[in-house]
Amino acid sequence: MLSFIIRRFLYMIPTLIVVSLVSFAIIQLMPGNFTTAFKLNPRFSKETIANLEARYGLDKPWYVRYWKWVTGIVTRGDFGYSMETQQPAFDALFKGRLSWTLMMSFGTLIFTWALAIPIGIYSAIHQYSVADYILTFFGFLGLSIPNFFLALVIIWFLVAVLNVGAKGLGVGGLFDIQYINAPWSWGKFVNFLWHLWPIIIVVGTSNMASLIRYMRGQLLDTLGQQYVLTARAKGLSERVVIWKHAVRNAINPLITMLGMSLPTLFEGAFFTAIILGVPSVERAYWNALQRQDEYVIMSGLLFFSFLLMVGNLLGDLMLAWVDPRIRYD
Amino acid sequence: MRKILALLGVLALVSLGALAQEYKVVPFGEGDWANLTVGKYGGYLVVGTWNNPKTFNHHIAQETSSTDITSQLHAGLTEVNPITDKVEPALAKSWEISEDGLTITFHLRQGLQWSDGEPFTADDVVFTFNGVIFNEDVRTDYRDVLMVEGQLPTCEKVDDYTVKFTLAAPFRPFLRQIGGAIYPAHKLKNLSRVYNPDADPEALNSVWGVDTPPEEIVGMGPFRLKEFIPDQLVVLERNPYYWKVDPQGNRLPYLDGIKFVIVGGADAEMLKFRNGELDVYAPRPEDLSTLIAEAEQKGFEVRIDPTKPMFGTTWIVFNQDCPNEKLKEYFRMVEFRRAMAHLVDKQSIIDNVYLGLAVPQWSPVSILSPFYAPEVVAKYEYDPDAAAQLLDQIGLVDQNGDGWRDLPDGTTFEFELNTNVGNTVREQICQIFADDCAKVGIKVNFNPINFNALVTKLLGSEYEAVLLGLTGSSEPNSGANVYRSCGGLHFWRYSECENPRPFQQRIDELYDLGVKTYDFDEAYQYYAEFQKLFSENVDLIFTVNMVFRYALYKNLKNTAEFSPLAQALGFSEYLWKENPNMVGNRVVG
Repeated sequence: MLSFIIRRFLYMIPTLIVVSLVSFAIIQLMPGNFTTAFKLNPRFSKETIANLEARYGLDKPWYVRYWKWVTGIVTRGDFGYSMETQQPAFDALFKGRLSWTLMMSFGTLIFTWALAIPIGIYSAIHQYSVADYILTFFGFLGLSIPNFFLALVIIWFLVAVLNVGAKGLGVGGLFDIQYINAPWSWGKFVNFLWHLWPIIIVVGTSNMASLIRYMRGQLLDTLGQQYVLTARAKGLSERVVIWKHAVRNAINPLITMLGMSLPTLFEGAFFTAIILGVPSVERAYWNALQRQDEYVIMSGLLFFSFLLMVGNLLGDLMLAWVDPRIRYD
Repeated sequence: MRKILALLGVLALVSLGALAQEYKVVPFGEGDWANLTVGKYGGYLVVGTWNNPKTFNHHIAQETSSTDITSQLHAGLTEVNPITDKVEPALAKSWEISEDGLTITFHLRQGLQWSDGEPFTADDVVFTFNGVIFNEDVRTDYRDVLMVEGQLPTCEKVDDYTVKFTLAAPFRPFLRQIGGAIYPAHKLKNLSRVYNPDADPEALNSVWGVDTPPEEIVGMGPFRLKEFIPDQLVVLERNPYYWKVDPQGNRLPYLDGIKFVIVGGADAEMLKFRNGELDVYAPRPEDLSTLIAEAEQKGFEVRIDPTKPMFGTTWIVFNQDCPNEKLKEYFRMVEFRRAMAHLVDKQSIIDNVYLGLAVPQWSPVSILSPFYAPEVVAKYEYDPDAAAQLLDQIGLVDQNGDGWRDLPDGTTFEFELNTNVGNTVREQICQIFADDCAKVGIKVNFNPINFNALVTKLLGSEYEAVLLGLTGSSEPNSGANVYRSCGGLHFWRYSECENPRPFQQRIDELYDLGVKTYDFDEAYQYYAEFQKLFSENVDLIFTVNMVFRYALYKNLKNTAEFSPLAQALGFSEYLWKENPNMVGNRVVG
């Protein structure tokens, strides 16, 4: 098993090199560069902009910059810096955001799974019933409403219809203004929960449909298997047949999915985070993309690719752990 | 011995006397300040901002999410009165301009202190200019606006409270431009290679970044940094050493501080304001009906002032160096550009795009600038018939009867019009313009593209026609980079740098003359002639300008003079709150 894990990690290196090379080249296809936004500002002379470009190395060909960046990583563990904030690239992405992103993502993950799995099981057992159709309908509704729109609708509803401001409640962000820089207290925690639920609803509902369908499909497959028929023929109670025999087998592929959802934990709630104004790693990444802040984009891409691969590996390992038929050597 | 002691005593008294603090008294209730009142202390101003600050280093900061904050932390030798837009003494209490207009001597206020309590002297001023702004290591656009005929002024210390600047030529905007942030020598001197040859050339660019401990950032502004929480909040607190007082001798600012809440964008900011979480909001046209409807109930007011259009311009430009030779020929004809100007239906743009909240713009100088000269500006009003006539005159007629005007060789005359994709206001204006062009048989291919691609196209002179905007200010010379034939933003005819058209040659002269006199009336004449020439030749076809809109909760006081010149942040040191514990319309703990 250990040699399998080591091998998988070694395979990641060439993949990351290819990913970074391709993405660096693609970034160069975007028109303009970091300094383009300043060029329309009458206060900036050509000299000042040339000076900026020279400082950031933007006057050099992309492969030169790429080589410099890669050697920096290999020799010094230096992933470059943000042209915009002059911070190290990883600080620009993660500082002050990582813990919030993880907290929101775990909240959403728990919400999604805790609802989707029972719903999926219920739908499978009651296939083609009215309840099955209704649940599926709501699942797809959550999937098809764009997140940014749902986020806006929720805070609009809170403000314009419920007028929560009159009750002293804020909308958007992680806290009301008086709690943001206050030390943790019960009041702050309650306020945090008040701001957390719209995020969880918006992001959670968009992931739920696929999970429900997976669970439903898997369980239906399993219920059609001969051993289920055998179990029923043996006169086992329906509860034991479904929970002990069918669900335990049907859930295996979903365990793999859980492992693979590792990158989404960091990506968190992309547009939702922007609309609701909450700190998230993806929002910082989005800013970097818009400003063509090259090294931050690259470090982000590298980090997300790495997570994706680790997530896949985790998925494989978890599957081996729950399913004794699978062995890696 | 006793005599010497007595003498020392006298000397000590004299030097103490010299240190009497020469604060600036703001005369609330009188003259320009008649509509402002003496306030009470306490409370935070809470405003929304869309982005994190990128640095707290004012001279390096390049966009408003940073400069909105840093400009609260610093002060300059001179300042612009937010009510009258006139240059006034700030850290300098007075100045003299020599006969020849080349030497300007500033007398500094004595006994002032930095936000960390250190004394403020001429050394700080000399350090700021010689060590930071004139220092080539520092990437600041502030250096560019102080250039006079390609040369920087020199700055020298006369005594502890006197500083002298020498210019290469007289420069009227100097007093306004010199008002940039003064930096503390006691904090930063070692980082400048002018004073410390061993310093890192990057040190002054990277100092005061977003990770800096707040107490390290020292300034002369009304507030100082207290806390920055990325993606959430920036907190500024009162600078206890600030150098302005009200008529009763109370030290300003009244507010305990300012909180910048980092919100997701205009929609979220609007909802937060309606929810009583922000004190002020600058509404978009589409927000106004909602806001006016609930203003009464929620305790805020909405101000709209049609007499005060915002600074900045939106225009359509035709590339007179167009790579397409046939188009270039027509774009260079003034009749063609006038015809196009006749096709811009400003009233329809105002009514449909801005919901009535805009005014037509005709001049390259902002309407609120004291140099705006409406009486001489040529106006080519919306008139499709006049446009058609002009187009007939220059030989653009429909030869094959397909409804589109053709070039003399029989091919359809058409051009591509670009603007930045996603800017719905600009896209709508382009659409209206293209529709009006179609009515007289001019084929416009409207194609919105990515902003960076658009800028590259525009400055690379590879476009046909573009609709875009530029920032403006009350000083016409800030447009020198645009309107002078060799300016870096003279994007409609870069080729003109070597061989300007006669009227453009005159504009270059006028720009020279306009900065060389310190006499306002004389300068006004030059800029009036510039506006006349430019508007007659319509190198840029100006569209419309949005008017001033502002929404604010009534608890905030001293807001009477808000205008496009300065809103809440421009008046920050004078604002106060009726109930200091209230944000928006509700009391917070």
